[in-house]
Amino acid sequence: MVSTLGQLFLSGAFIASIAAMISYAISVVKDDIKIEKISHYLWYAKGTFLLISSVALIWLIMTHQFQYYYVWNYTSLDLETQYLFSAFYGGQEGSFMLWILCSFVVGLGLIKWTRKPYKGPVMFVMTLTQFFLLSMVVGWDLNFTQIGATPFRTIAQEMPNAPFIQANPDFVPADGSGLNDLLKSPWMMIHPPIIFVGFAMMTVPFAFAIASLWTKTYHEWIRPALPWTLAANLSLLTAIFLGGYWAYETLSFGGYWAWDPVENASLVPWLIGTAGIHAMIIQRKSSRAHKASLFFAILAYVSIVYQTFLTRSGVLADQSVHSFVDLGLYGQLLMFISVMALMGIGFYLYRYRELPSPEKESKFLSKEFMTFTGSMLLFILGVVIIFGTSSPIIGRLFVENPTPPEIQFYNDWSMPIAIIMAIATVIGQHLFWQKHSWESLAGKLVTPLLLTSIAAVLSIILGEVRNVYYMLFIFAAWFTVMGNASVLFSLIRKNPKLTGGSLTHVGFGALLLGVIASSVYTEPLLDQRTSSYNARVVAGEVYDEEGFPITQPIEMFQLDINKPKLINNKYMVTYEGYEVADSPRPGQQTYRIKFEPIDGSRTFYMDPEVYPMLTTSSMDNIDWSVDPHVRTGWFSDIYLYVAGSRYVERKNQELEREKRSRSLVPVADEEEEIQTIEIQQGETIEAGPFTFTFQSFVPAQPEHLPENTQIGIRSLIRVAHAASGNAYEVEPLFAVYTENEQSYTYSPPLMIENWGMSISFSRIHPETDSIELTIDGLDLNYEEDWILIVAEKKPFVSVVWLGTFLLMAGFSISIMRHWSREKNTEEKR
Amino acid sequence: MKPKLIIGIVSIVLFTSLLMYNFGNSISSYVNFEQAADRANSHVIGTWDNTQDYGFSRETMQFSFHMKDQDGNVRRVVYPRPKPNNFEQATQLVVVGELRNNVFHANDMLMKCPSKYNDGSELVNAQES
Repeated sequence: MVSTLGQLFLSGAFIASIAAMISYAISVVKDDIKIEKISHYLWYAKGTFLLISSVALIWLIMTHQFQYYYVWNYTSLDLETQYLFSAFYGGQEGSFMLWILCSFVVGLGLIKWTRKPYKGPVMFVMTLTQFFLLSMVVGWDLNFTQIGATPFRTIAQEMPNAPFIQANPDFVPADGSGLNDLLKSPWMMIHPPIIFVGFAMMTVPFAFAIASLWTKTYHEWIRPALPWTLAANLSLLTAIFLGGYWAYETLSFGGYWAWDPVENASLVPWLIGTAGIHAMIIQRKSSRAHKASLFFAILAYVSIVYQTFLTRSGVLADQSVHSFVDLGLYGQLLMFISVMALMGIGFYLYRYRELPSPEKESKFLSKEFMTFTGSMLLFILGVVIIFGTSSPIIGRLFVENPTPPEIQFYNDWSMPIAIIMAIATVIGQHLFWQKHSWESLAGKLVTPLLLTSIAAVLSIILGEVRNVYYMLFIFAAWFTVMGNASVLFSLIRKNPKLTGGSLTHVGFGALLLGVIASSVYTEPLLDQRTSSYNARVVAGEVYDEEGFPITQPIEMFQLDINKPKLINNKYMVTYEGYEVADSPRPGQQTYRIKFEPIDGSRTFYMDPEVYPMLTTSSMDNIDWSVDPHVRTGWFSDIYLYVAGSRYVERKNQELEREKRSRSLVPVADEEEEIQTIEIQQGETIEAGPFTFTFQSFVPAQPEHLPENTQIGIRSLIRVAHAASGNAYEVEPLFAVYTENEQSYTYSPPLMIENWGMSISFSRIHPETDSIELTIDGLDLNYEEDWILIVAEKKPFVSVVWLGTFLLMAGFSISIMRHWSREKNTEEKR
Repeated sequence: MKPKLIIGIVSIVLFTSLLMYNFGNSISSYVNFEQAADRANSHVIGTWDNTQDYGFSRETMQFSFHMKDQDGNVRRVVYPRPKPNNFEQATQLVVVGELRNNVFHANDMLMKCPSKYNDGSELVNAQES
């Protein structure tokens, strides 16, 4: 019922978007304000319908209607409410719906604030994009072809040929397959909405650019478009930051950025959008660069659609760990990107000759030239990254079966571009507020250069930088910070509202510093043996059994329980044990690792976790996943995870045993592990690596005893493991009771979880004054607990975040400034 | 023609050819184990050969297993990190590294996991448990 309603309104939204699109087009062509009004109502209808449809989907998720494929696939009964809600946009279909909802809200803003002559054409472009996005989820089956994949399809519709569906078409699974554990993070809840707000807002400059080409008004459009573009960029930046932060805290690749295709795909629209902002600012201030503003405004959105195509069509399936599953939307997505690119770029080329061009060229030393350089560099960097990311497509021109490019490709290009950008920002910012000759500029830059030199030299000496290229990079980055900071200080005195630009550029400099420090100067934390082994590997002195030199260093080390090791000559590190808990993730182990800095500073603990990933584990195989611990500091972070542990190894062995015992061919059983020992009070008996001490009898509380008990007593037993010094005390119960005039004994086993051992008090021997203990799971080859650690020290990750925050703050200030200026002009009219 | 236009065109051509050249060099083809023998860095696609022993050794700190490439060549692969998540379920493996003396030393490894979206096998498991 709810699902039918949801599907009905989804179809309604699709039809409304088509109607709105046609109606807006007519309103523009006929220049009819009445039709435009009707179109607005169609836009509201579209949004409302989709909202109802989304509520229906959320309802299905909240009420666990697992007969629906989407609900089954992304949720489960045990999922917390907030994750149930975020599961709405956890899959492909729902995330399209969220994108459309965000666009709807943006459209409301556009309807309210946009003036003539742009309103109609802008809204036409918005509805066009809505038409394509809705077509991805509407799920209409038109005999010859299928349009989109609806989130309201049932499992039977999704897999009509599956045997259990053939056997029982009304099959409803008891539980869903659940949300991937890695995604159960508050960061991941807010990341998608922010990204889609950014996508939706980035449609606005595109729509304005098309509207400008349509109405042949090339000057005015940037005024309303600029605040939207800035806001879109702020959203995308925030989303990229959240994604990077999540990856750093959650995943085991050990960083916030990996040039992964999906990450790149989010970076490129941001770069091109930023290029567009620069071009628009020149156009505002100097009435130049009309062509560039239009071009970048179009391209920023096209790159968003292109990245959507790359990540959602299955093209990148082989290359990225987190691309979406192919829903068979390849054709529709291809159509979307083709129409957007053809419409944008085609229209641009069609009008190209009419576009205003400057009468005379800008001087080299002018704000126009410098800002334009910045814009071009951002664009070039975007192109380079698109190239690399598109390797499954473009690579075919070069080789068959292309692999992704090496990471080096991205670094080789981004570093020199960043260096030139860094210098251009300083010159550009100084020129932006004041005209300068070479002499006067040099005069302004004396102090920043002096400070830059001091800071750069200090960083190079303290950071032991040997590479000349990196020295240059560090110098350029410091120059960006100092040079733009000097502009910032003079602006703060004049008018703090103008500081947006200089603040972003200081942030950019800080970001560069943080990136180089945290990526190039990350050092693995290792014990002395491993690091001297690695030094020998580097020197080519280590050979494998066949006499070939070993080239791969070891980047992890083992810790035995309670045995401190000296790590990097800095810390005494001790593994103190682990705890198993069922919350928040069933079966998760928290390992406790003590760090004692040998310089006497304060001791701290790290608590990385390992847990079974339930969504991908089966009866035969547990898929263990690590949750690293990151200890953030002002100067450096310590990143650490447990790469292996005795607990995990044992669990795997147990599973292996169970699997074999379940299989049809009986395997010779492991030796019986049940042992009995007879022990007197006060006596200590050794069994393998363990000692058992019977300390005393303890009275048993009546409520723990069965009915008609004649004797009920507990014994206090201390079990110790000498090698590790661990010991547990247990009080197993022994009782004799009568039932139907028969005597029975009752001796429930008690479990020592960490040793996989259970102890029961099975008999009393009054004649020898001793008791009998039955011990199950006594492992005579018991070894001490150990873990394998992968740890890294990453300097100045804090500065990466600082740079990002400064960028965000700068963007926010600019948004407010341009927005209030835009509002003022509106009021004046 | 204006000199600025010429400079513009030349720099665009230079940039594009440099990018193409550099891009062409930094990508390579996926190869099989036999072709990997004469290369410095190769990407090999294959599947895990589960008939032979595999596992992580705490002595060498390496994970080692046998992999069968798409043309049926089987080689031992060593990987200097713990066994990756999802290893056993992977329907396809990509190893990146160097083949020396018939042992592939992987620096990087990618797992392609079965699409849980098509056959419903997981659904059946969920039903059983």
